[in-house]
Amino acid sequence: MTNIALGDAGEKAVKDYLILNGYKVLATKYRTVTGEVDIIAKVKGTIVFIEVKTRSSNQYGSPAEAVTFSKQRKIIQTALSYLKQTAQVDAPVRFDVVEVWMDLNGGRVRLNHIINAFGER
Amino acid sequence: MFAQTFGAATLGINGALIIVEVDISNGLPGLDIVGLPDTAVKESRERVRAAIKNTGFEFPVRRITVNLAPADMRKDGSGLDLPIAVGILAASGQIDPERCCRYVFISELSLEGKLREISGILPMAASIAEQEKCEVIVAPENAQEAVFAGNLIVYAPKTLEEVVLHLRGEKLLEQVSKECAPFSYCASTDDLSEVQGQVVAKRALEIAATGGHNILLVGPPGSGKTMLAKRLPSILPTMTEQEALEVTKIYSIAGLLKNNTGLVAVRPFRSPHHTISDSGMIGGGRIPRPGEVTLSHHGVLFLDELPEFPRQVLEVLRQPVEDGEVTISRVNASLSYPANFMLVAAMNPCFCGFLGDSNRECTCTVVDIRRYIKKISGPLLDRIDININVPRLEYSEFTANKVGETSAVVRQRVEAARERQRERLRKYGLFANSQMSHRHVKNTCLMTDEAQLLLEQAFEKMNLSARGYDRVLKVARSIADLAGEDRISASAIAEAIHLRNNVKDSAI
Repeated sequence: MTNIALGDAGEKAVKDYLILNGYKVLATKYRTVTGEVDIIAKVKGTIVFIEVKTRSSNQYGSPAEAVTFSKQRKIIQTALSYLKQTAQVDAPVRFDVVEVWMDLNGGRVRLNHIINAFGER
Repeated sequence: MFAQTFGAATLGINGALIIVEVDISNGLPGLDIVGLPDTAVKESRERVRAAIKNTGFEFPVRRITVNLAPADMRKDGSGLDLPIAVGILAASGQIDPERCCRYVFISELSLEGKLREISGILPMAASIAEQEKCEVIVAPENAQEAVFAGNLIVYAPKTLEEVVLHLRGEKLLEQVSKECAPFSYCASTDDLSEVQGQVVAKRALEIAATGGHNILLVGPPGSGKTMLAKRLPSILPTMTEQEALEVTKIYSIAGLLKNNTGLVAVRPFRSPHHTISDSGMIGGGRIPRPGEVTLSHHGVLFLDELPEFPRQVLEVLRQPVEDGEVTISRVNASLSYPANFMLVAAMNPCFCGFLGDSNRECTCTVVDIRRYIKKISGPLLDRIDININVPRLEYSEFTANKVGETSAVVRQRVEAARERQRERLRKYGLFANSQMSHRHVKNTCLMTDEAQLLLEQAFEKMNLSARGYDRVLKVARSIADLAGEDRISASAIAEAIHLRNNVKDSAI
């Protein structure tokens, strides 16, 4: 399985999980020049920007560790342009990270949802 | 959603009430602190976030703006953690904002949500007492200090949770009451009677203490200069409550107060090492902190091995010695700290230390001695009224079982003499002979005819300068006060001439 396919599978799994938990998915793979947001969803009036990180092993550190400060900045920038585009600059906003571990053989998936993982400093 | 709480910060030796405004709005989540916060205040962001979370309250996922007013004053210290945390809880609707306005919150927060002590509580509380606020919430360790400031209702909860429960009215805190005696004088542990012999030096110390004169002790190593100087605070008049309050304020800001000990009752004795820097001596830093001269306010600043001090350090002493306060200007703030101290300096007469000794030969050359004396700045010496030689003791002198007067006895005489000075100098706004200027000397130092004659002769014979003349008179006035004389007698003049500062002249 290539890394891209792994990532896509992870995002699919997270999307299912979100819908199951009452989130309304607004967009996936929202992309601007500044970067990409994996999933944009809405729950209880809050717009949630979700970064999905999928790994098949912990060999290279945990998935959440890979969301570095510069990656966070990119997501924030992209989120801002989404809010501008959809004219809801004043909405309550949150940034989540979902870690996904995929077992390549058995097909078992494990998720860890970090709510309000980061924000503007 | 908006809320407002009150905190406090220090500015010089005074406190200032700080208004903490918290606004929570939608937008990117984050916490911004504006209003010239210093690093410690900026870092409170992380402490507040963790403390709120770990106490079990909700840290709002919104855009939070904290403004510290007045916005033009730079705030330092970590005492603003608590007002910021309470402000955030109030703005997010977890506490009623109306109920917070009555209190002033001064405390640091631990990540766990406990209240931590901070320095400078006393001046902050004192300035709060002057404003309309009258209820303060501080950490338990700071409680007694806050109580001392005056008419304040003090609460000392242990945790942020207790603060919130109190503000919600669910579980009220108890008011802290005064624990220590209001103000009591504690004698310093060193006593003058422990010094063997050195009768002349002890007498000189007594005169110096009487008039608040600066004094220079010259003598060979091991003759007891340091021992004598250490005992000077014990013969100085007891501190008034006002003086003790001032000293305690300074120590509070410098963070030198021990837990809940109440007011500092012993006159300070500071003895900085001669490697001290000039900002260590008079105070300094980006926001100036008090230096040694301020820490010895109302007490004694002892400079051992005077010639070893860097010239720069001795030069900066000139202004505080003269004015009794020191003004430090930096880009961020220009502050005045009080520095009304008695300067006591000790030095050897020359490099080897034995110039003028009766038994041991001095091995220094004339050039050596000149160079040694030259290290001390003339203008500083000019401000030292009394100069005394402390000779090496003979064997029989320090083995003798004769016990000298105790500090308490000497102090009584000094206090009586100070009372006379206070009476006489009240109309000029002074309280000690050393503070007199030429005009005051002329008006208050009346002499007997005999004394007048003696001083005239001395003036001619010893080539006294005009300033030297004033100095002799000031010291003579103190001697006369000790003896209870209204007019300065000839013997007082004679003794004053003997005690006059002549290090520069005597060095060949």
